[in-house]
Amino acid sequence: MTANLRYTITAVLAAGVALAFMPWLLSDFLLSLALSCLMYVALASSWSMFSGATNYLSLATSAFFGIGAYVTAWGLETLPYALAVPLGGVIAGAFAALVGAAVLHLRGAYFAVLTFGLGELVRHSITYFEKTYARTVGRVLSDPPEAVTVYLTVLLITVATVATCAAVRASRFGLALAGVGADEERAQTLGVNTRRVKIAGFALSAFFAGALGAAMAVRWTYIEPMSVFNPFIGFQTVLIAMIGGAQTLLGPVVSAVVFSLFSELLRLQFPYAYLMLLGLLLIVLVLYLPGGIGSLFRGRWARA
Amino acid sequence: MGFWLELAATGLITGGIYALVAMGLNLQYGLMRIMNISHGEFLMLGAYLTWLAHTVFDINPVAFLPVVAIVLFFGGLAVYRLCFRRIARTSPSVDVIEARSLLVGFGLMYLVQNAALLAWGADMRGYSYLADAVEIGGARFAANRLLAFGFAIAASLALLALLRWTIFGKAVRAMMQSPTGAQLVGIDTAVLHPVVFGAGLALAGMAGGLLSMVYEITPSMGEPYTVTALIVITLGGLGSAAGCLAGGLLLGLVEAFGMHFTNPSLKTLLSYGVFIGVLLARPKGLFAR
Repeated sequence: MTANLRYTITAVLAAGVALAFMPWLLSDFLLSLALSCLMYVALASSWSMFSGATNYLSLATSAFFGIGAYVTAWGLETLPYALAVPLGGVIAGAFAALVGAAVLHLRGAYFAVLTFGLGELVRHSITYFEKTYARTVGRVLSDPPEAVTVYLTVLLITVATVATCAAVRASRFGLALAGVGADEERAQTLGVNTRRVKIAGFALSAFFAGALGAAMAVRWTYIEPMSVFNPFIGFQTVLIAMIGGAQTLLGPVVSAVVFSLFSELLRLQFPYAYLMLLGLLLIVLVLYLPGGIGSLFRGRWARA
Repeated sequence: MGFWLELAATGLITGGIYALVAMGLNLQYGLMRIMNISHGEFLMLGAYLTWLAHTVFDINPVAFLPVVAIVLFFGGLAVYRLCFRRIARTSPSVDVIEARSLLVGFGLMYLVQNAALLAWGADMRGYSYLADAVEIGGARFAANRLLAFGFAIAASLALLALLRWTIFGKAVRAMMQSPTGAQLVGIDTAVLHPVVFGAGLALAGMAGGLLSMVYEITPSMGEPYTVTALIVITLGGLGSAAGCLAGGLLLGLVEAFGMHFTNPSLKTLLSYGVFIGVLLARPKGLFAR
């Protein structure tokens, strides 16, 4: 472990400990705002871990998130919450590994579209399954855990995600991922098993998204495919990461906080105008600052 | 017999529209590596323009189709100029063009779709045009569907002929085969790229205009068509206009028969199943040699 990495991880842990006191300091409204921020920090970081490094644009975030949420929805009656959350992550990760083995040889637009289709496929399958076999559209989560428990769980996942991101970036595995992104054939020539690296990276990033979905599911009490597989979650994650700079560690984190605040405050009042602004911002950034805002600060602390 | 004919025809009618939607996108992607994920949004704009013209100014939707095409063509020129030209010029490789244009496409999707929501609201809109049934060979069809099918096929065939037999089409095909070679023999990218981009949007707009005669329209109607167009392109092969037509019709048939034998709520599952299956088994398209 290099000094730089140790420094980063200590900072992440310290921030996590500080944020752990928030439930007793903040009002309910502010706490739910903080929960949204944490959720997007974790989603954007886990997305960047794979897609930022490898340049494989994955739109499957909402699929993994939704799978996690449904693990909770189906399992919470028999399983304790503390077990449902990691199980959601593991199942989403396993699903990603399976799918990744089949589709990760596709590059560019094909991969992006296929991963988007994946979300829709899973959503429609679950809708159909629930309608035919369980005869319901959605599910009510009776007896959800307390808000403090949910907050602390999400905080834990977020801290773990960001710390894992930092650790991956400093490891051989992270270098291999970045090598795939820079030039896949060259990485292969240099002895990287790109296939295995890609599948592992994809599954790892899906694990966090799935665990997050499983943890957040109880917040809504009523779960239906349309709300947990909402493509907007996936899009907003990609937007946040790209705008912040998917190749940096801090970029997605900062941009997730900023955008979740904006999103919660503006989306209710000006939903359409807010999304238009988001779209415009993405276009302008891709055209004039393709590395994201984080690329402006390629200093010591951005690289970690 | 009449029933099967009706089922097949229903599939072909949907498939014709799919082909028309996919063709514009395929041209853009094949020529410029621009994966314009907001393609369906321009289809939606075409549908709303036609709806507006019909309900507010009482203009015949069929007569209005050329206007829609022209408006979207110039819209396409503007979009290309503002967004994609810079990407094409500043990107180091085609992979990067593809990735960046995909993201810009997402941005455009948000922008256009929400602008439409702001302007017209989220309600379903529609009008009735030629909704009477026509009987052909014992099968009954709504007249507007037949009309939409006829127009979609005619437009697709016209485009095929244009690509095959005109000097412009030759230039486009040359550019697809070898961008550098085409430039060496004097084909001007600075003209061809925006024109083809505009033509792609014009085709999308026309498809939207045709769809507005048949179905009710909403600002979010475009997205499924983008995905369907991508499936059709995958089926037919990238850059192949004839493959696109065949792929579109095929997908329409698969959906129609698949829904009949299984369940209407499985429609999306079916087309995604086809998509993933083709990508896995024949990533270069069904008709690739």
